[in-house]
Amino acid sequence: MPLLQIRNLTHWFGGLRAVHNYHEHIEEGELVGLMGPNGAGKTTIFNLICGLYKPTEGEILFNGESLVGSSPHKISSRGIGRTFQKLRLWRHLSVLDTIKLAFTSNLNYNLVDALFWTKRYKRREDEIEERTYELMDTFGLTDYADARSLDIPYGLQRRVEMARAMALEPKLLLLDEPTVGTTLYEMYETMNLIRRIKEKFNLTIIVIEHRMKMIMNLCERIKAIDFGEIIADGAPNEIRENHKVIKAYLGEEEF
Amino acid sequence: MTLTGFFQYFVNALQWGSFYALIAIGYTMVYGVLMLFNFAHGDIFMVGSYIGLFISGALLAISIGGLVPMPSWLVLILTIVFTMLGTSIVGILIERVAYRPLRNAPRASAAVTGLMIGLLMETANLFALGAERRKFPVLIQTTVYKVEGVSITNTKIIIVGVSLMLMYILHLLVRRTKWGMAMRAMAYDFAVVPLMGISINFIASATFALSSCMAAVASVLFCTAYPILEPYMGILIGWKAFIAAILGGRGSIIGAMFGGYLLGFIEIFVAAIFPSTLRDLIAYSITIAILAFRPHGFFGEPYSAQLKL
Amino acid sequence: MRSFIEKIRSQFTRIPLLAWILGFLIAAVIERLIGSTLALPLGLGKVPRLFGIRYMLEYPLLIPNIIAYLLLIYIVPISAIAKLITPLIKKLPSWSSMPLYLMAIYGALQAWSGLDEYRVLVIQFILISILLTVSLNLVNGYMGAFSCSSGGFMAVGAYITSILTVGGFVYDDVFGSPILPPALGPFMFPIALIIGGLITALTALLVAIPSFRTRGDYLAIISLAYTFIVKSTIENLEVVGGPRGLMNQPRWAGPTVVFVWALMGIWIMRNYVSSILGKGAQAVRDDEIGAEVMTVNTRRIKVVTFMLSAFWSGIAGGLFAHVMGYINPSTFGIMKTAECLAMLYMGGLNSISGSIVGAVIYQILIEALRPMGIAKWMVIPVIIIIFMLRRPWGFIAFRELAFLRREVKNAPASD
Repeated sequence: MPLLQIRNLTHWFGGLRAVHNYHEHIEEGELVGLMGPNGAGKTTIFNLICGLYKPTEGEILFNGESLVGSSPHKISSRGIGRTFQKLRLWRHLSVLDTIKLAFTSNLNYNLVDALFWTKRYKRREDEIEERTYELMDTFGLTDYADARSLDIPYGLQRRVEMARAMALEPKLLLLDEPTVGTTLYEMYETMNLIRRIKEKFNLTIIVIEHRMKMIMNLCERIKAIDFGEIIADGAPNEIRENHKVIKAYLGEEEF
Repeated sequence: MTLTGFFQYFVNALQWGSFYALIAIGYTMVYGVLMLFNFAHGDIFMVGSYIGLFISGALLAISIGGLVPMPSWLVLILTIVFTMLGTSIVGILIERVAYRPLRNAPRASAAVTGLMIGLLMETANLFALGAERRKFPVLIQTTVYKVEGVSITNTKIIIVGVSLMLMYILHLLVRRTKWGMAMRAMAYDFAVVPLMGISINFIASATFALSSCMAAVASVLFCTAYPILEPYMGILIGWKAFIAAILGGRGSIIGAMFGGYLLGFIEIFVAAIFPSTLRDLIAYSITIAILAFRPHGFFGEPYSAQLKL
Repeated sequence: MRSFIEKIRSQFTRIPLLAWILGFLIAAVIERLIGSTLALPLGLGKVPRLFGIRYMLEYPLLIPNIIAYLLLIYIVPISAIAKLITPLIKKLPSWSSMPLYLMAIYGALQAWSGLDEYRVLVIQFILISILLTVSLNLVNGYMGAFSCSSGGFMAVGAYITSILTVGGFVYDDVFGSPILPPALGPFMFPIALIIGGLITALTALLVAIPSFRTRGDYLAIISLAYTFIVKSTIENLEVVGGPRGLMNQPRWAGPTVVFVWALMGIWIMRNYVSSILGKGAQAVRDDEIGAEVMTVNTRRIKVVTFMLSAFWSGIAGGLFAHVMGYINPSTFGIMKTAECLAMLYMGGLNSISGSIVGAVIYQILIEALRPMGIAKWMVIPVIIIIFMLRRPWGFIAFRELAFLRREVKNAPASD
């Protein structure tokens, strides 16, 4: 069974059709790219998967179960983690707390435990803290554990978002332009990081990216969309040559 | 309820609605332009009443004393004008001293500061003028008109008329003048206004001035209908007008007007139907119910936490 | 002059809070022993009740004498003892820290208040205010809302608890004969309080649920309307006395009882905010959508935070009713809410220590400035305004004093 199946996904914002007949079929273990000019609807698709919008039409199946109509926190608890194009960190929380929060669906203690500081609570919080430190280590964030998440360098902030998404133990990871605003060097670092965590945690990943070097070299398969519709789908070198894609990004050649 | 009864209540509701609307507009303007709830506004209303008291007293003294005889409608108009002036100064001062330094602070801190300023003004009044209630001089000789069995006093007509007129003038100011446009621009995007060459401080002061003017008009009109003044008179009416402003949709002047009249109608008709002690209870419950279904008020922009992406 | 002050200040920077508290305890004991004997030769008729502030306002000519008293009884002994005890405290094992703090605070309060009934009352009000402020901090500080419901919550708790105790145990005009044997009374008090708190928490749903669909600003209105509605409802209920109020609450809220409840409240609320569950509230404040996508059930957090806050405000109300022995609806209106807001924003958002500080400062101001009469309500707003202007986030915001912090257990060895 494919991990993620999307069929006939269409979404309207009032009179604006943001996504039209999008379909996707992702098996476990794939690393897939999603590209398209600004405003094409890529982030909207992510938002629809995560449950931030309820799609006007269409089906989204995760492990065979429909996600449509569920609230975002339930959807993410099922194992879908994501990062945001425009960072959504919590400005007053430390890096440690930020990542820990993603364990909320896996607390294994209830409110009463928390209020009265029971043994079970203490044990679980310590376990979670240990796991968080392991995660921070993977992402190179250990030195910044107590820093407020917006007080650290920008590149590290992006890693915090990734680490946070990993904390909810996802099977599917959605990365929305993970290298926005980073240098070329940081981009290569991020690419390696993505490959490493995919290997280590057995992830299936969808990446939205603009930077050709990254998306072409990282992904096995890429979908290109424009105005909410799929215009191309295939291996990186096919996409590179596809004239619809070129037209969408660069415009048409005029003779 | 008989038909005459209904119209009687209708007229009363218009009167009270006018008060609430004028004060609510003040709240909503400050909120719309400066993203700030000015909880001292109810007390600015109170200060306006006292300023009106002294000004009308002075004018009457001049008039009756024979220096410059004035017909009472002129005294009323002059009272309103000078009270607007005086109250604007109070409003501008408050903005300068208390709100301007907090422009970058959390809004809640500014709100608490506003509450404190209100308290300060109430107590200062009590301290300076004593606990004795004051009586506003009679500026309009009451004539009662009976129309189809409904008694309408000229006072009520004047109140509603002047209120509507001033709301219209404000509307013109905000829609047709450059400064009004700057205010509306600031309501949409705070930071852009100074980039266009207009000082935020100036707009802030102007907004407070206008807001206080509306409160001043409300206070003078209120005192012509209910001439008893005391330092805490602004509290209840202030909070109700605040609720009216939110009901109408925060940031929307038309909304505030609508909310004010709506609240006036709810209160009067609830009091007509239910025993008077339950009036507030039912009125507030209706308000919560409305807000539960239309959280952004009637004219506010729909805002959903979900969709702010 | 400045370097002199600096020198003195540097002497005292490294002193832990516990040392100061113990110093205060010993100073209080000293005062118990020799206070009145010292007061006479200093020209003061009796021991100043509240650090001499009221005394100074009533008898400005005696200010030098009062200052001398404060120096001898408070300032010098506290500083000296705090400094001396510091090395001993540093040697203590860390597990003993919390129990010692509790004993020291309790001892200090007992010693200090033993001298005068008035001091006992002040401490009780301070503790109740601390409960109110900390519970308000949960919603306004940690969760970033602007709720004006303190007065309403307190009223519900106060009335429910009073109905139970007066109806159950007291013979009076309103409820008639007691239903339960009076001997059972003091043991039933905690149950009455808890029931009051639970019912308050239930009514908090009236505020919490509309808050799902609305943005923060509307919560202000809804919570305000809630306070109004509660007040109006009580005024219309003749069965509990209506506007005249309810009295004859049995005096079961002695200082120790209030202290224990305040302690429990602080402890439980602190546990909530330091847990991952509780941190969800901060995430809701900072970025609600991000929180939702990161598996935080934002609706549940809002409900839980509101209800917890309401519960403890209700308990504070119940305690208040039994300290005063009389309550009426006008006590719990806008003014009470405004006071709670002032204590909170002055003390500091997102900080339990901040709330404690804010409550203490405010209550002491209220009491200390009493001799000024009505002018008190001009001075206090001015003080608060100045405070807000200089520290808009509050005195202690987003940090905690050391003894309230959770320790980071699993920091790797390299740290």
